[in-house]
Parts: sequence; C-alpha cells; structure tokens
Amino acid sequence: MAGAPQGATVLNEKMLAARFAEVVLPHLGDALSLARWLTGNTADAEDVVQEACLKAHAGIAGFAGGNPRAWLLTIVRNASYTWIAKNRPRSVVAVGDLADLDDVAPPPDSDTDSPEAALIAKANSAAVEAAIARLPQPFRETLVLRDINGLSYREIAAMLGVPQGTVMSRLARARGLLMTELGGRHHEPA
Amino acid sequence: MSPHENRPREDGLPQDPQDMTLMIHALVDGELDAAAALAVERRIAADPELAAEHARLVALRDAVASLPRPTVSDAFLARIAAIAEVKGAGEGDVTQPAAMTAEPQQSSQQQQGNVIAMRPRGVRWFNSFDWRQMAASIALTAVLASGATQWLTTADNGAESFAVAVANGHRRSLLAATPVDIVSSDRHTVKPWLDGRIGVSPAAPDMAKDGYALLGGRVEVIGDRPMPALVYRHHEHLITLVAAPRQNDVKSVPVADDLSAGGFLLVHWTDDAFSYWAISDAERPALDDFVARFRAAVIANPAAGSPG
Repeated sequence: MAGAPQGATVLNEKMLAARFAEVVLPHLGDALSLARWLTGNTADAEDVVQEACLKAHAGIAGFAGGNPRAWLLTIVRNASYTWIAKNRPRSVVAVGDLADLDDVAPPPDSDTDSPEAALIAKANSAAVEAAIARLPQPFRETLVLRDINGLSYREIAAMLGVPQGTVMSRLARARGLLMTELGGRHHEPA
Repeated sequence: MSPHENRPREDGLPQDPQDMTLMIHALVDGELDAAAALAVERRIAADPELAAEHARLVALRDAVASLPRPTVSDAFLARIAAIAEVKGAGEGDVTQPAAMTAEPQQSSQQQQGNVIAMRPRGVRWFNSFDWRQMAASIALTAVLASGATQWLTTADNGAESFAVAVANGHRRSLLAATPVDIVSSDRHTVKPWLDGRIGVSPAAPDMAKDGYALLGGRVEVIGDRPMPALVYRHHEHLITLVAAPRQNDVKSVPVADDLSAGGFLLVHWTDDAFSYWAISDAERPALDDFVARFRAAVIANPAAGSPG
C-alpha cells in the first residue's frame, strides 16, 4: 500500500492518474458506505474517504491487481479507525478476544413458516439502519463488508486478518441479531 | 427436530445445527460450489426449520441491500479526482465538476488502449457505481463487436469446430472448481443473471422431477461470442447446454442431430430462437432423454426464452 516511490519510476504520473481513475473512482460509493457505517455519519465519511484516497493515490503503483474494491475498502477501513482513534477515542471498541462473541446464536425455535421473514421484508429502511447501527462493531463491520459492499468471505477474511470461519460466524451472529430485532422474535416465548 | 435426525447423512453436510446454519448463510451469499449448493438446497427443501431460516436470511439480505446508499456528489467526486490530477500534468479544470466527467476518461483512453477499447465511449463511470452495469455494458460491446465476424457460419465445417469448442468448454468446466458462474436451481435467478451479463438467456426449466436438476448457468465464449450455457446434473454426470442465439443463415436442425467431439457425446438442434448444443459424458440414451424433455419443457413454456 505504501510502496509507491519505487513503482512510480516505472509508471509515469499520467498513467498513475489513469489507474487511479480506473481503480479508485468507480468505488467511491462503496467507500462512502463503509466509512459511514464505521464512523457513524455521512459528513465524517467524506473526510475519511478523502484521506483514504490520498493514501490510495500514494500507493496506487503498489496495487497488484485483484479486486480493486476490496483494495480500496481495506484502505478506507484503516483510515476510518485512524480517524475514530483521533476524533472519538472513547468510542473505539477494543477488538480483543472475541471468542465469546464468535459463538453462533442458536437457531430460533420457531415452529412457523415465515411470518418473521415477512416482518423482516416489511421493515422500513430507518429500522434496518438503526438495527445495523446498534450491532457490536466487529459484527457490524463484517455485515457491511458482505451485505452492503458485496465482498466475498475470502476478501473479508483477508481484510480483517481473521480466518474465513470467523467471518462466517460473525456474519451469522450479526444477521441473527438483526433478524431478532426486525423479525420481532423477542416477543415470542422462549 | 428434523425428521432426518437419526439417519446417516450422505450429502457431506455438517451434522451440527449451528454449522448447518452457516451453510445456509453461505448459500445465500453465493459462496458454495454447485455440488454443495445443491445438497444444501435439498436439505432446505426437506426441513421446514431450515426453510424458515433461509427465508429469513433472504428477506434480511434484500432489506439490507435496498438501504439507500450514500450519493457521491459531483463536488466530492471532483475533490477526489483532483488528488490524481494535481500531481499529474497540471491540466486545469479540475475544480469544474462538469469537466471531470469527461476529461480524465479521455486521457486514460489514450493510456490504456487495450482495456478501454472494450468499453463504449459513453460509459458513465462517474454517475454509475454499479459494477453490474459496467459488466453488462462491457459484455454488450463484445456482442456488438463480434457481429461482424460471423465466426459461426462462415465455413462448412462451422458446426464441427463449434462442437469442438463446446466440448472444450465442457471439459474445462469439469476441471474448474465449479462448473457454473451462477449457482441456482431457480430459473428466475439464472435467466436474469444471463440477461444482465450478455443480454441473452434461453429458457431454463428445472427438470429435477425428471432427474435433470438445474445447477446454474455460465457464460461460454465460443469463437469470439459470449453465449449462455446452462448446466444440469443427471446422477453423477453434468450436462452442459449451450444456447447460441440463431443467426439467419444458420442451418435449421429441427431434428436432433447426434454428434461427438473431444470424447464427449453431443446433441445439436435448433428452434426459432436458439441453436442448442447439449454435451455430456453421460450415456447416449440419457442425453437423448434429456434433450427430449428439455425440448418438451421449452415448448410447454415458450415465453421463458429471450433471444437477444
């Protein structure tokens, strides 16, 4: 990511600019989405993405192919946490031992077909967004990378530096929490 | 609990209910290969609890996917694009949002001829951040560009070399991690996927009841033309069905024609819209039976196809 200086001698500046336009610009929407979900608001997201794009431009010569969106989002994620640490140090969640969080929620003992699915489908955007915002940070991050940014399990695992199994269980846990909230499952007797 | 609880399972899926839940997530996320997807779909079909979980997950995925996305304002885009331009050749205009939509693209076209040539000039990079549109427009350009070549029909041996190409594609698919690009037994998933990629999709009936389960679809490139291909499973054999949109001068083959190429058996026939090539390592009777049932299914529901 930071290996620009040597590479820049090979690719001249115009080619780097063209590459930046090709690799970075098409994914700004995704970058804003991720930054917004990590920082919590839209205005901060633009600052974070701009910062990330500066880093991306500096490191564009080091982009070795692969999925440009995943590459950019990795930079955006790092920039988001840097920004959060600087501006809202108290809100940083310690991502320490997540073993207890990584247990998959037990499957619900619902005996009916899909009233919950119907409830979830009817949930309005505000309710869905609020439910995502309330997720613990590691779950929210995984869910956003998968369901909003559309990255694969493998790409998310590489970005977060965790095994794919951990990605899967965090995702299942995040969705379990959302379904509980949106599907009204908590009103049912246990 | 599930009625299958005490029966040994032969589908290779996890026994543990929590792990099985993860498999359903993976199915919804399109992370399973064709064989595993098929096995999970069967489990779901047999188990109402799993089916309910699957329905909830699909509903949730759709709800999250339909959330409003932050918009990339022209001003913000100009700010970001300026990052590259300031350090570049110093062409002015970087603060003019309107200019941004055209200028960098033209300079990049000069620089990267090969890549950009695939793209129509008017692709709206800056307003459209949906990769599906990008992919569709690239594929569409490929179709338009190949119209001039008429690879299929020029020579007398066109059918023969086409059969070899189909056989090679089938062989490659058997070696690949997964024989399909889009996994689904649901034609309502496969058809839009193919339409989105290459603008053409044949009828894709699932004939699981007849012993031919639809596994999914992929895009085959034969000659230089992308074509839709459907993949069916019959016992342990895979059947690839390539549907080439018919061109005017393609010989009509209303009666199925038995061929072979590359060690595989083929059946070739045409209807009004498509020129079909079915290929498999299955026995000839099974392949003929598949073709007969497929043709019957298409005739029963002709509206399902959409020749490009």
